[in-house]
Amino acid sequence: MRKNMWYTLALTAAAVSALGLAAAAEDEPVTLTVLAGQSTTDAGIEDMIDEALAEKYPNITLEWECVDWGNDFQPKMQQYMQSGLPDIMIGKAQDVATYAPQGILAEIGAEYLDAGLDAARENVTIDGKTYGLVYNALYQGVYYNKDMFAENGWEVPKTQEDLQAIIDDCNAKGITPFASHMVDTWSIGNVTMQFMMNDVFNNDPTWGDKFRAGEVSFSDSEAAQTAYQYNKLIFDNTFENTFSLEQTDCDAKMVLGEAAMKVSGSWSIQNFLDIDENFNFGIFPFPNQTGDSKLIFEPNITIMTSASTEHQDAVNKVLEVLTTDKELAVEIYDYTKTAAMLKDVTPTFANPSQEDIDKYASEGMIVDVTLGNNQLVWGGFQEENAKDIAAWLQGDATFEDALAASDARVDASSAN
Amino acid sequence: MFRQYLVLVIPGLIIFTIGLIVPLFLSLRYSVTSWDGMSAEKTFVGLKNYVNLFKDKEFIDAWWFTIKFTIGNTIIQNVLALLFAVALDSGIRWQKVYRTALFVPCLISAIIVGFIWLKMFSNVLPEINEWLGTNFNFLLFGDSKTVLGGLLIANNWQWVGYWMLIYLAGLQSVPGDLHEAAKVDGANAVQRFFHVTIPMLTPAITICVVGITTGSLKVYDLLVSSTKGGPGRASTSIIYQTYTTAINGRQYGYGSAMTVTLVVVLLMVAMIQVKGLRKKEVQV
Repeated sequence: MRKNMWYTLALTAAAVSALGLAAAAEDEPVTLTVLAGQSTTDAGIEDMIDEALAEKYPNITLEWECVDWGNDFQPKMQQYMQSGLPDIMIGKAQDVATYAPQGILAEIGAEYLDAGLDAARENVTIDGKTYGLVYNALYQGVYYNKDMFAENGWEVPKTQEDLQAIIDDCNAKGITPFASHMVDTWSIGNVTMQFMMNDVFNNDPTWGDKFRAGEVSFSDSEAAQTAYQYNKLIFDNTFENTFSLEQTDCDAKMVLGEAAMKVSGSWSIQNFLDIDENFNFGIFPFPNQTGDSKLIFEPNITIMTSASTEHQDAVNKVLEVLTTDKELAVEIYDYTKTAAMLKDVTPTFANPSQEDIDKYASEGMIVDVTLGNNQLVWGGFQEENAKDIAAWLQGDATFEDALAASDARVDASSAN
Repeated sequence: MFRQYLVLVIPGLIIFTIGLIVPLFLSLRYSVTSWDGMSAEKTFVGLKNYVNLFKDKEFIDAWWFTIKFTIGNTIIQNVLALLFAVALDSGIRWQKVYRTALFVPCLISAIIVGFIWLKMFSNVLPEINEWLGTNFNFLLFGDSKTVLGGLLIANNWQWVGYWMLIYLAGLQSVPGDLHEAAKVDGANAVQRFFHVTIPMLTPAITICVVGITTGSLKVYDLLVSSTKGGPGRASTSIIYQTYTTAINGRQYGYGSAMTVTLVVVLLMVAMIQVKGLRKKEVQV
């Protein structure tokens, strides 16, 4: 009896100390490295995430390396692929197609994915495994000055003819039809993909595969050429100093009523509302040749995790905070002026273009641009093509030269 | 004694070997592969990358821009630096103020210099244009025909003061007796400048010409923050092209071949210049 009592006491003591050790291990300070490839709207969200994480898991510290997604994310990833990946990487949905096949990304747990909308999961899933958690989304199309449209009796254009009529009226009235900042070559690349989505990929979602197989080319495809030609339409109807004008100055001109429209994305909303919180704007898809253009949707902040992290538990806790802390999510959406990709979370900022977005969504006229970005990748292809388009617009190359240069770059058109 | 030399040399040699020699040989190795910079596979392609370079219009255009930028810089920077040095050496008032004002820009990072001149050409100078009611075209970075001029202005603004100091030191070390003797022989100021000052300055000229040439051939950071190689490809230097090809374009092997050509050109240019200019140096 006495012996049994000693056994029980010893076992209890062992159990208590094991629990204590486990609790101590849980609270052990952990530092996770994060490489964040940010869009222009995202700088600053790292502080919000740090604050939310510190509240729930004070033992986890995030060591951020924030870089510009367009210029520096890919070089940084290449560097880390040689020396060891950060625990968490934040990029865009299209990055999953580039890095997951290399076997360096970990699958994201279903418990976190289930907190998100299904809409963007398809393009971050490879062979049935999902490697990215899409956190927010951007919309791309033609932002327009609603008040100016109302004053001039212009209707939202659906066809190229409708659009041309507005351009002609603008020019007749001394209004610049389009605001643009072609000094940023990425903006040329971005609008070209918008055009390609509606004139090429909506009709042929595997155009990029066919391009690599030699079945189609930019020099032969009328639809692709039309998409390139829209750049000329913009260039001929924009500010004279577009190749010297930066995005903020360009957005300011748009808000001040110096231009009627701007082919852009949600990243402009932050500037629009910072410059004038009462600016009344809407959005419509850039009309294509067949009059059935869709508004473009781009899954933006996409969280990926390293397959070789030594702190998977801590990484999971970060994912948990990101997917369950709705206050944090609203704060981020309101700050970045972007759309939510988490279930039951709605941004609270006033977005005058939301009613247009809702209308296109209800009509099923929204398309995910990740399709186009996976068919023809950004880094090394779209961004290089944009330089050739700029050279053509500047008169340094012919249109045929620009098309031929895109064709010659076929090997760089796919991530793998 | 030998052991002491060795102790002094070895730390530097190790750093130099790891930081320069090893990467150089790795570059040579990658340049004969089709490596994409990500995968483990580095397929040997022989000299294919080098052959393709000669057919690559973007590579040739990048070299052409770099050569024009280098020639422009070497001429303008040397002439201006020498003129400023002569002016400051002539005993004018406020010499230290002028010297400081000309030297300060070279303490600023080239990235910041790019931003400064982007804003100058796009916002500040056009605004001044408006105030004055004039119509000068200051949008130099926005046009492929004027972007080179704009970059030369920015680069010269940054570096003229630095090279001026080297010329100034050279001028101050020219013995006064030589000028006196030339004066006695009846040489006027211009003759003294070309027949006494310039020959005595040849070591400084060698340093400045080689420094400016090799520096200009390697231009990259100024472009990143100002023109991003544009408009189009109008200001894409060879290093900019190499970086975008190797890293953004995921053609590490091909990009390495571009690097090797740059190293060869840099070595050749520096050797020719040093040999040519050394012959003209005079010893006192």
